[in-house]
Amino acid sequence: MAMRNAYIDQFPEEARVIRAALWSSFLALMIGGTLGLIQGLHRTNVLRFIPSQDYYTVLTAHGVLLVITFTIFFLVGIFTWAVTTSLDRGVKDIRFTWGWYAMMSLGTLLVGVSILGGVVDQIPMNADVLYTFYSPFQAHPAFYVGFVLFVVGTWLAGFDWFRTWWAWKKDNPDERIPLPTFMALTTMLFWYLSSIGVAISILAFLLPWSLGIIDSVNPLLTRTLFWFFGHPVVYFWLMPAYMLWYTMLPKLSGGKLFSDPLARVVFVLFLILSTPVGIHHQYLDPGIAEGFKFIAMTNTMFLLLPSLLTAFTVVASMEHGARQRGGEGYLSWLKALPWRDPAFTGMALAGLMFAAGGFSGMINAGLSINYLVHNSWWVVGHFHLTVGTAVALTFMAASYWFIPQLTGKEIWNRSLGLVQVVLWFIGMTFMSNAMHRAGLFGIPRRTAEPQYEGFSFDPAVGTVAEIDAQVALGAALLTLSVYLFITNMVLTTIGGSTSDAIPDNTYAGTLSGPEDSPAIIDNLKLWTSIAVVLVIIAYSLPLASIIDAGGLFGPGIDPWKPSVVVDPSLVLESVRGVMP
Amino acid sequence: MNIHTYEKTWLAVAMVLIVGFIATITYGAVGPGIAMIDDDGGTIDPDTINDDERFSDPGVTHVGGNEYEAAVVAQAWAYTPSEITVPANSTVTFYVTSRDVTHSYTVAGTNVNTMVVPGQVSEMTVEFDEPGEYGILCNEYCGAYHHTMEGKLNVVPEDEFDLTELSTEAPDEAQLGNQTTINTTVSNDMNYDLETTATLEIGNQTVEQDQTVEQDQTVEQDVTVPAHGSETLEFAVDTTDFGTGDHDWTVTVDGHEGSGTLTVTNATEGGDGDA
Amino acid sequence: MRISKGGLLVIMAFLTPLIVELRTVLSWFGIRLSVVETGALGLALIVAVLIWAMWPSNGDTEAKLA
Repeated sequence: MAMRNAYIDQFPEEARVIRAALWSSFLALMIGGTLGLIQGLHRTNVLRFIPSQDYYTVLTAHGVLLVITFTIFFLVGIFTWAVTTSLDRGVKDIRFTWGWYAMMSLGTLLVGVSILGGVVDQIPMNADVLYTFYSPFQAHPAFYVGFVLFVVGTWLAGFDWFRTWWAWKKDNPDERIPLPTFMALTTMLFWYLSSIGVAISILAFLLPWSLGIIDSVNPLLTRTLFWFFGHPVVYFWLMPAYMLWYTMLPKLSGGKLFSDPLARVVFVLFLILSTPVGIHHQYLDPGIAEGFKFIAMTNTMFLLLPSLLTAFTVVASMEHGARQRGGEGYLSWLKALPWRDPAFTGMALAGLMFAAGGFSGMINAGLSINYLVHNSWWVVGHFHLTVGTAVALTFMAASYWFIPQLTGKEIWNRSLGLVQVVLWFIGMTFMSNAMHRAGLFGIPRRTAEPQYEGFSFDPAVGTVAEIDAQVALGAALLTLSVYLFITNMVLTTIGGSTSDAIPDNTYAGTLSGPEDSPAIIDNLKLWTSIAVVLVIIAYSLPLASIIDAGGLFGPGIDPWKPSVVVDPSLVLESVRGVMP
Repeated sequence: MNIHTYEKTWLAVAMVLIVGFIATITYGAVGPGIAMIDDDGGTIDPDTINDDERFSDPGVTHVGGNEYEAAVVAQAWAYTPSEITVPANSTVTFYVTSRDVTHSYTVAGTNVNTMVVPGQVSEMTVEFDEPGEYGILCNEYCGAYHHTMEGKLNVVPEDEFDLTELSTEAPDEAQLGNQTTINTTVSNDMNYDLETTATLEIGNQTVEQDQTVEQDQTVEQDVTVPAHGSETLEFAVDTTDFGTGDHDWTVTVDGHEGSGTLTVTNATEGGDGDA
Repeated sequence: MRISKGGLLVIMAFLTPLIVELRTVLSWFGIRLSVVETGALGLALIVAVLIWAMWPSNGDTEAKLA
């Protein structure tokens, strides 16, 4: 029998947990993607088969399932692979690993059921509060409890990886941290730091408030604590994609990573700068002084640096791979890349779209131009390029490499996989382009019917109907792409036969290795301390002034339960009633 | 640390780009003076909005020169007032607060945009150069009918703009030969006194003010409405010569009109009417 | 074939954003294309790329002769 050396052969126990995590992720992707199509058709008035009030339940589920469940379940799976593979040792206790997976699953279930209560009368819950759950919207306590369980599950997962690393360090006291483990650990460090914000927001304020223990909350305070977590979480989704671009893409291209030291620098920069930027989501919030917004803007701009460095390294690594495969010339080497491989092509296209998303992100980060695009459809276009493509397409593409590693089976249909990733690129081009343009002339995000009675929108080029058609077409192609992906994964897992031709479980070598960087780069305590100091500088004064001005529990803010659905004309009457 | 030459160049270009972005934004703040929404608006208890000096009577008021203030209360799912009218070439400071959840106050397709967080007052100063009509919308999810929350912003030519409001109060009916009164309240939200003439017209004739108005007459009355104040005028109407039937009347002040119909009845018929 | 089938597929995909944005760019120069015109232009570009890709390159011809 041929000596196969796939991940499942090296770590069969861990492979089972990772498979479970990836399948949780895929399930969330399928449900969340389908809901996305419902929204795309509803907003654009192409097809409306749900009442517009229910649009917001669908939107809440779409957001939570895709940006939290899909991404983070994939992350914990991939990071478990990264740590065990690069340290070449299993987790300390597989029961603990199953424990955090179970905790995250239970949390997801609670959140999911409470959101579903928004459209299913038999479930006496409601959580139509969207992914950001801004108070004074008040969700059912199960929503908050589920969210906490999920996040604590990720904390325990991080602990699992840290103690695997600690055990490895004991055996290898003089070795540099292997790059994939370094990436997982630095990512977890800023995740610990930033998720403190949402933990305080929920445990100290929103959960006791939803249980009736406290009467009022300070909406600006809980909102600021949310964004303390809410921007770093986007890097939490992005870092596994970056890890795959650094450790898998060069290998899939047929070469090596250009520079290990700069990859480490990039992750250190993310550790330091991810958290003290959250206020850039609050440029237009009252109650926060301009100076604090300026600090957040400056930090955000410096966060461009690690992404620009990544762009260089990824392209340089691909070129190196292409030249190893016989590519030549200034640009002709591009032809030598393995475009038939869905894992490679998907990641390359994801990286390309991330460049476009990065440019619209630079606009968002611009303090003054943000007035024009804030909360417009532009922003939705932006994050469908970042989390919706850079992350989601990279994850799907990587699955074409990982699922064989985790199951020992060949992909059911690789050509279909290639069509699937290309279809995602085309669908997202249509959808995000239209969303960006629509945002510029004022169409808002998070709105079931952006068609108003008293005015209409005025596009610079084309018509609103063309924009809507473009979004609906894009959404349909994206959903088709998701279903092709799921079909391929299901048929690979249940239908495929075990193959001995699965490649060995390895990651990319490096042209310039860790020995080219000073050992201080691996000093996680130092970088964490600097990150903490920057967070204190960026956040202590804004939080103090918010609490000082509005009080810890706000100036008598009444909870607003979104389940109270009433006729809007009655509401207008009541508006007139309360006005003097 | 060993860094490739190309990578060093790229690093330098990236740093120049970043510093360039920060420099242009800094210039935007100190040069053209694009200020961010900040904490100048202060905080407010949403339960006290009706007692608040600014928000108890929301709308546009004149501060002086070409400067105006607009107070707006947002709540699910409407703005009060829903329509804002300001003159061109004006500087308007908006004060917006929320009675319930987080909203936004957004003039579609422009950079007039602020979040409206309950407990906070958003203060935003806007310069309006040209006349135009704009839609106002809420771009932050605020509940099941969020998508119905909208308003209107009219920027009108300066010479068409005033802050005069007129309300009239008059009986619908009077008995022939009796005297009745049409009350007119004129308010002025400009920062200076409004000196103008109030005219009552019944039918098509004109009579001086302080005279009792008879049939088919118009009465004029000079009026001075103090800055940010109001005046109530009483037009006494003697119906002796009116004849029974419906008589349309119109009060005109500073280009604004209030109108109604007075039905004059016979003394005996009037009795039926009262019954 | 001058290019692999996978490569061709990716080039065709990459044409999508170019065509979609070409319409916006042309409008800056006062050229306003309708959706149908944009689609026709896109189709023409795709056909052009297909012809380029299918046209036997010198290398291929020699390979066939050999």
